[in-house]
Amino acid sequence: MKTSDLLTILPEIILALAACAILLLEPFLKKDKTANIAIALTALIASGVAALGLGGETRSSFSNMVVLNDYAIFFAVLFAAAGALTVLMTPRYLEAYERHMGEFYALLLFAVVGMDLMAASRDLIAFYVGLELMAVSSYLLAGFLRYQIKSNEAALKYLVTGTFASAITLYGVSLVYGLTGATNYQQVGQALMASGNTTGVGLATALVLVGTGFKISAAPFHMWTPDVYEGAPTPVTAFFSVGPKAAALSAILVIFVTVFQASAHTWSVIFIALSLVTMLVGNLFALVQKNIKRMLAYSSIAHVGYLLAGLGALGALDQGFLPGQAILLYLAAYTFMNLGAFAVLVYLKTQDSVHFDYSLSDMAGLARRSPWAAILMSLFMFSLTGIPGTAGFIGKFYLFNSIVRADLTWLAVIAVVFSAVSAFYYLRVIVYMFFREPEVEFQPREGINGSMAAALALCSLAVVVIGLVPASAWTAAQNAWVNLFG
Amino acid sequence: MEFDFAQQIGFRALSLLIFLPAIGAVVMLLFLRGRPSAYKTGALVTSLATFALSLYMLTAFKTDTAAYQFQENFVWVQSFGINYHLGVDGISMLMVLLTTFLSVIAIIGSWNYVKDRELGFFISLLLLETGMLGVFASMDLFLFYVFWEIQLIPMYFIIGIWGGARRIYAAVKFFLYTFAGSVIMLVAILAIVWWYNKSSGTMTFDILTLQKAGFPSSIQMWGFIAFFVAFAIKVPMFPVHTWLPDAHVEAPTAGSVILAGVLLKMGVYGMIRFCVGFFPEATIKAVPFVMLLSVIAIIYGAAVSLVQPDMKKLVAYSSVSHMGFVTAGLFAFNQQGVEGSVLQMVNHGILTGALFQMVGFFYERTHTREIKDYGGMARPLPVAAAFFSLFVLGSLGLPGLNGFIGEFLILLGVFQYAKVAAVFASIGIILGAAYLLWMYQRTMFQELTNKKWLELKDLNVREIFTLVPLAAVALFIGLYPKPFLNMLHAPTQNILAQVEPYMAQKQSLIHLASSFFGGF
Repeated sequence: MKTSDLLTILPEIILALAACAILLLEPFLKKDKTANIAIALTALIASGVAALGLGGETRSSFSNMVVLNDYAIFFAVLFAAAGALTVLMTPRYLEAYERHMGEFYALLLFAVVGMDLMAASRDLIAFYVGLELMAVSSYLLAGFLRYQIKSNEAALKYLVTGTFASAITLYGVSLVYGLTGATNYQQVGQALMASGNTTGVGLATALVLVGTGFKISAAPFHMWTPDVYEGAPTPVTAFFSVGPKAAALSAILVIFVTVFQASAHTWSVIFIALSLVTMLVGNLFALVQKNIKRMLAYSSIAHVGYLLAGLGALGALDQGFLPGQAILLYLAAYTFMNLGAFAVLVYLKTQDSVHFDYSLSDMAGLARRSPWAAILMSLFMFSLTGIPGTAGFIGKFYLFNSIVRADLTWLAVIAVVFSAVSAFYYLRVIVYMFFREPEVEFQPREGINGSMAAALALCSLAVVVIGLVPASAWTAAQNAWVNLFG
Repeated sequence: MEFDFAQQIGFRALSLLIFLPAIGAVVMLLFLRGRPSAYKTGALVTSLATFALSLYMLTAFKTDTAAYQFQENFVWVQSFGINYHLGVDGISMLMVLLTTFLSVIAIIGSWNYVKDRELGFFISLLLLETGMLGVFASMDLFLFYVFWEIQLIPMYFIIGIWGGARRIYAAVKFFLYTFAGSVIMLVAILAIVWWYNKSSGTMTFDILTLQKAGFPSSIQMWGFIAFFVAFAIKVPMFPVHTWLPDAHVEAPTAGSVILAGVLLKMGVYGMIRFCVGFFPEATIKAVPFVMLLSVIAIIYGAAVSLVQPDMKKLVAYSSVSHMGFVTAGLFAFNQQGVEGSVLQMVNHGILTGALFQMVGFFYERTHTREIKDYGGMARPLPVAAAFFSLFVLGSLGLPGLNGFIGEFLILLGVFQYAKVAAVFASIGIILGAAYLLWMYQRTMFQELTNKKWLELKDLNVREIFTLVPLAAVALFIGLYPKPFLNMLHAPTQNILAQVEPYMAQKQSLIHLASSFFGGF
């Protein structure tokens, strides 16, 4: 092992060391957890900065198992941002449940390490290690409120289905190894290219697809999502809805364009079929939800449906980078708008943890109680709908553009029809906040705390900036994708 | 560039015009919060300044050319060929003037109308104005789409927060109808840009460039359908008009004035700019079909108006009928038809805006809009009745008022296209006279059934001040339409030149259409 090897995984090292530091420091801290929060935030920012600082050249280490190129950097920064925003919205929430412990931040950092690895890995083993590190941390985070029955339910469901999905993925990986004798993406890809399409390859592709499909909650593997999202602590749900999902997609993108490049046209069709089912399930079930956390769970499924359509376009286009770039941009846009929406929910929960239960009727008349929360929530809802001027529109614009350019105009039409459907359930939140009067009395507790204000400000800023000046975000996504193979 | 803003007016007039209302809204939110008289004055001053600026631009506007003027152009997203490109021709200049004018009227008219969350209401009106102006001044498809969708949001809030009893239903219906149409249009935009990219090697959203692209027939057909449906929902044409009565009835007065006065025009404007500009061949092929829908809208809208018990709903359905004239005139594709169509958009904006405003004034006094609750109102409200008669007569097309000029030109144009269509459209005019006069008779004349109404106060100075400009414009266009038509000659020639190569196909289809009607 050389020092340069360590440089490649510097972002991950920073996070892992910080997580250990938090765990060591925790016994010495009394009620005030500021020190641990500071460590977590500093580490996340440092890992993002380190990743950016190491850019410009492609670093490859540990016998080419892990790389640090623009692609890995893009995701390292995105995950660091998602982690930092989650940290910012958490403290008062956990205080409200009297479960404010440093372990939370340590687990979160470990999850981010796993996610970073998934995007950076160029080897099936490294990918699986990253996947499991993320997954195990996630199970613990889901059950963090261990005196809450719903949190327990969420953890158990996530653990059982997640383990199941990991095992299926692993089985697919082992088949690939059996077929090719290699685990390195590039080598496997070349071997599979030479061997042609056999039943074994088809089976391996299908298993990896099903396993990762669970992780991104693509229908019909989405059943766990609403329950886990509803039961998990809300900041954790916020994190789940963007972090692990983007990480799994980052890995899917690399694996399918390198390992399974020979069968691109086959998996393109499969992804398109999955995309149709996922868009349908996500949007239709979101329509009937009365609980906003569940609604956002189904909405996240719907967004995965759009992304899968992009993957379909990616497979259909042998050359041409557009769909991959558009997917990356969409993930960035989606991260900020979804985190923002959840941040508003977390804020409302901390305002009145007794009465507020995430149901739509609890939002009634919010514009009168706290106009800024209502305005920000509207911004995020409009962004999720895809109204111009927001990041959500830019994401959809580039994504659908790439689908049209893959000569899949019919798929783009279906996708926009579903986003018109989605307008109904996103707007309903606004209807409750602005057009209805409160149904029960709420006692607002105290003002907003600094970290939550920062989280909301950063999310809304990102949504508006990407929405109005998309060029720089697009360039970042473009560089990331072009250097994927580098 | 001859029509660059720099040579023509010396400053970025269009950008200033578009964003002035938004700037005013931000200033009101930041500095004038909590002081109703201050922020209301702020809203009025902002809208007046915007109107003044648009008038000033009119003085520099050249009417002898179809070229886009006051152009501003700079790169927005380089890699996708998206530019922030603004410019107006005669048609969009008229629409801009209509927008700035009606925004002033709407703000004065709702001075005391809204009681709850007033600041938000006036901010919404100003943001709406920004969105509408942006739609009319965009010369880049991406920019156009951004404004086209963004203006939905303030209108959604205006109906949803300050509307009547069924406001939520109406607001959501309004939003979803338009949004559903627009997203399909978005795919069509991406598809035509992609086709142009493939065939020419450059990626651009520039409207003028795409107008010269010469799309093949198959692209024209699908593109036309996608764009046309989005715009037809906005107009609204039969049978996608069903959101309109709900939205109008539930919207507050100012919302109805803007909705009828400007938002509906965006649909026809889109047809002129994009359906004709990008897909002339498909447009000409669709003429009989669109003409049929227009005639149905004219007669159906009028017939439904005839039986409305609610004044506001009557005016709303009359809009369906009147907008039917506008689309019929446009799709006649001759000088009179097209010019009449655009002029009638202005006329309809003035007259229907005025009618909604007056219904609002009546409602503020009586808190009812049912025609049967009224009767003999001319006695307690003589001034209001006089104004009301002027606008009703204008709306039914009395010579000397503006409605006549537009409808006359349209009928002239439609007559040249197909006599049978003109005949049916004339039935709409007769029905229009019937429902409007009948409503006037039942509300203003007859016995004063409800003695309570005797105590009502007539229009105050502010209310008269909102109606006088509307009446003045109605009279002016009615008596001397030439300056307005002068602005339209050159753009109309431009439109006709765009469809000229395909006119032969239209001829053959006329016979098809008339045989459809049973050999008139």
